[in-house]
Amino acid sequence: MHGTADSAGGSKAAVARAKAALAAGDHAGAFAELRAAIRPQDDFTEQARIARAFAKVDADALDLRPLKVAVLAGSTVDHLADVLRFWLAASGFAAEIYLAPYDTVAQSVLDPASGLYGFAPQVVWLFSTHRDVGAAVEPGASAAEVEAAVDAAVAERTALWQALAERLDALVLQNNADIPADDPFGNLAGAAPWGLRTALRLYNARLVAAAPAGVTVFDLDHVAGLWGRARWTDPRYWHHSKHAFALDATGTVAAAAARLLAGAMGLARKCLVLDLDNTLWGGVIGDDGVAGIALGTGADGEAFVAFQRHVKALKERGVILAVVSKNEEAAARAPFESHPDMVLRLDDIAVFRANWSNKADNIQDVAETLSIGLESLVFVDDNPAERDLVRRALPTVEVIELPEDPAYFVEALARAGCFEAVAFSVEDRRRAGYYADNAKRVELKRATVDMDGYLGGLAMVATVGGVDAFHLPRIAQLINKSNQFHLTGTRLTEREVERLASAGDTEVFHVRLADRFGDNGLIAVLILRRDGEDLHVDTWAMSCRVLGRTVEEFIANEILARARRRGCRSVVGRYVKSPKNALVAGLYDRLGFVPLDGDEDERRWSLAIADRPDGWKTHVRVETQETMKA
Amino acid sequence: MTVQDDITARLTEVFRDVFDDDELTVFPAMTAKDVDEWDSLMHITLVLAVEKEFAVKLNAAEVGKLENVGQMVELLARKAA
Repeated sequence: MHGTADSAGGSKAAVARAKAALAAGDHAGAFAELRAAIRPQDDFTEQARIARAFAKVDADALDLRPLKVAVLAGSTVDHLADVLRFWLAASGFAAEIYLAPYDTVAQSVLDPASGLYGFAPQVVWLFSTHRDVGAAVEPGASAAEVEAAVDAAVAERTALWQALAERLDALVLQNNADIPADDPFGNLAGAAPWGLRTALRLYNARLVAAAPAGVTVFDLDHVAGLWGRARWTDPRYWHHSKHAFALDATGTVAAAAARLLAGAMGLARKCLVLDLDNTLWGGVIGDDGVAGIALGTGADGEAFVAFQRHVKALKERGVILAVVSKNEEAAARAPFESHPDMVLRLDDIAVFRANWSNKADNIQDVAETLSIGLESLVFVDDNPAERDLVRRALPTVEVIELPEDPAYFVEALARAGCFEAVAFSVEDRRRAGYYADNAKRVELKRATVDMDGYLGGLAMVATVGGVDAFHLPRIAQLINKSNQFHLTGTRLTEREVERLASAGDTEVFHVRLADRFGDNGLIAVLILRRDGEDLHVDTWAMSCRVLGRTVEEFIANEILARARRRGCRSVVGRYVKSPKNALVAGLYDRLGFVPLDGDEDERRWSLAIADRPDGWKTHVRVETQETMKA
Repeated sequence: MTVQDDITARLTEVFRDVFDDDELTVFPAMTAKDVDEWDSLMHITLVLAVEKEFAVKLNAAEVGKLENVGQMVELLARKAA
C-alpha cells in the first residue's frame, strides 16, 4: 500500500494531478498519483473515481505485463471490472477484461463458439457466490444427504473446470462460497449438520480438495469476513441490480484477486527488507542497549515479538529476509545474538546491512546481493521519512504503510498481501516443512483425549533462572499483575525483588516455558525463604496460560531440589485468600502437603522432604539450570 | 438560496465527478437521456456518489425511481428535512 486516501478531496486532487501528468504525456507519473491516492478498503465512489481516471492512462506505457482476464458471474460484476483493471495494474498487469453476459456462466463455458473462447483469456475467473451454490438441504436432512448435495454442487464446478481445460490453457480462479450473514435458523444454521452454513463450509472444503492443478480457489468467504460479514452484502443492490456483494467492498475484492493473480503469474514479492529500531523491537538499540529495548515484556514488547513471529513464519514459507538499519553493525546484531525474546536470529537474515548510508542505496545493495529485482522487494520501516525516501527513490519497491502502534504491524504487513501464492513449489523446502508442522499440530490436537499423550507430545521445555536485567521487569510484572494463580498475593517492586534475590536467606527464581508450538515466555516466579530447617514458599505466581500442564509439579520439584541443596528438611507452603485466587486454594493439598495451621483465609502446609524422594511426575523437561546463588 | 438550489449545486459537483465532465450543469428536467454515459450501470455509481455526498441512504425502491434530477432534488430535500 502506498499513500492514504482518507478524504474524497485527497483522491480528487490526485485525479487532477494525474490529468495534468497525462496532459504532459507522463503516463507513469499519472499512474503513480492514482496509486498513491487509493487503498483497497476505500469506498466505491473513491474506487470508481480512480478507475475512471486510470482508464485514460495508456497501460502500455507503464511497463506492465499484458493479461487477458475473463470474468464469468451469476451476478452483476460490471462495476468490479473497471476497478479490477486498476488493481491489476497496481499488481503489475496491463489487463484486458472480458465480461460474459450476465448469468451465462455455464453457456459461456460449454459453448465452444461463445465470446469467452473468442476472447482467448489467460485467466478465467468463475465469480460465483453462495447464491450460485445449490448445497441447501431440507432442515433435518441426514449427513449423507448434506454430503450428496455438497458433492453435487462441487461436481457442477468440476464439470466447468474440465470444459475450460479442454478448450483453454488458462488459469481458473474459482470463488468459494461467501457464507451468508443471515439465516432463518440463526445459530443452528452453522450448528446443525443440515444447516446452510454447515453445508457451505463443507462445500468450501470439498471445493479446495477437488481443485486440480490450474484451478485456484479464490477465498471469497475470507475476503467477506475481512471486510465485515455484517455489511458484506447490501440487499438494496441485490434486489435492485443483482450485485452479490456491497459495492463498497469492490476495491477489497479486486485488490485481493489482483494480488493472488500476481502470485499465480510469478509477480509475487520475494524478499522482506526490515528496519530494526521500533520495527522489530521498541526503542533504539544504540541508546537503550540490549537490556533496554522493548521486546517480550509489556504490551508493546509482546507486540514486537508477535510481529517477529509473523516475519519468521514468512521466512519459513520461503520469503527471504533482509535487514537494512541505520546503526553500528555490532549494536544492530547484539539483540539477535543475545536477547532471549528475539524470535528472529541472525541465520534467518539473508542480507544484513547496518550502517549509516541512505536506505535506498542499502536496499539496492540487498537486491543486487540476492540477485533479485527491486520489484521483488517489500520494505518495512516505522519511520515515515524513510518510507517516503524509499518510495521516491525506488518506486518499484513495495513500501508498507506501518501504523504507529506495533500491535497493528502484523495486519499492516499481512493485509498488503505481497506474498500471495497459488501453490507450493518444490524448491520451497522450508515451506513444505512449515505445512508439515501444521499437520502435526492438528494431529496432536485431535489426540487430546489421551491427556498424558497430549502433554508428552507438547515437548515442554522449561528454563529456570534467577533475577537479571532482562527478566526483572517481567518478574515484577507477574508478581504484581497475577491474581488467579498467586498463592499469597504478594506485591513487590522491582527494587524489592532485587533485594530479595541478593539476600542470603531468600532466593528468587523464574521459569520460562517453551513447547513445540512456540515460546510461552516467562510464566512463573517463586520467592523462597529459608528459616532454620524449613524452606518457606513466600511467593508463587504463575501465568494461567500454562495451567494443567504439570508445570506446577515441575515447579514443586524445583522447590524440593532447592530445599535439599540448602539442607532443609521440609518445605512450608502458604495460601492467603484473595477475591480472585480460589483457583489455587487446594494446590498444596493436591501436591500432597500436610496442613499445618491456619484457617480458610490463610493456611499453611508442610511437606517433609524425606517423604518425597522422587518428587512429582511432570511432562516438563528442564533445559538448563542456572547455578543458584549461594 | 433555497434548499433545492443548494442541493442542485451540490448535485452538479457530484455529476461532474461521476461523469468526468467539468462542463456539466444539472437542471430539474434533466434525465439519463441528456447525459451520454448515464446508463443503468452509471446510475448506480451516481446514486452511491449522491448517497455519500449527502450522507443519506436511499432505499431500493428509491434507487430505481430516480428518473430525473428534479425527483432526485425533491427526494434529497425530503431526506434532509
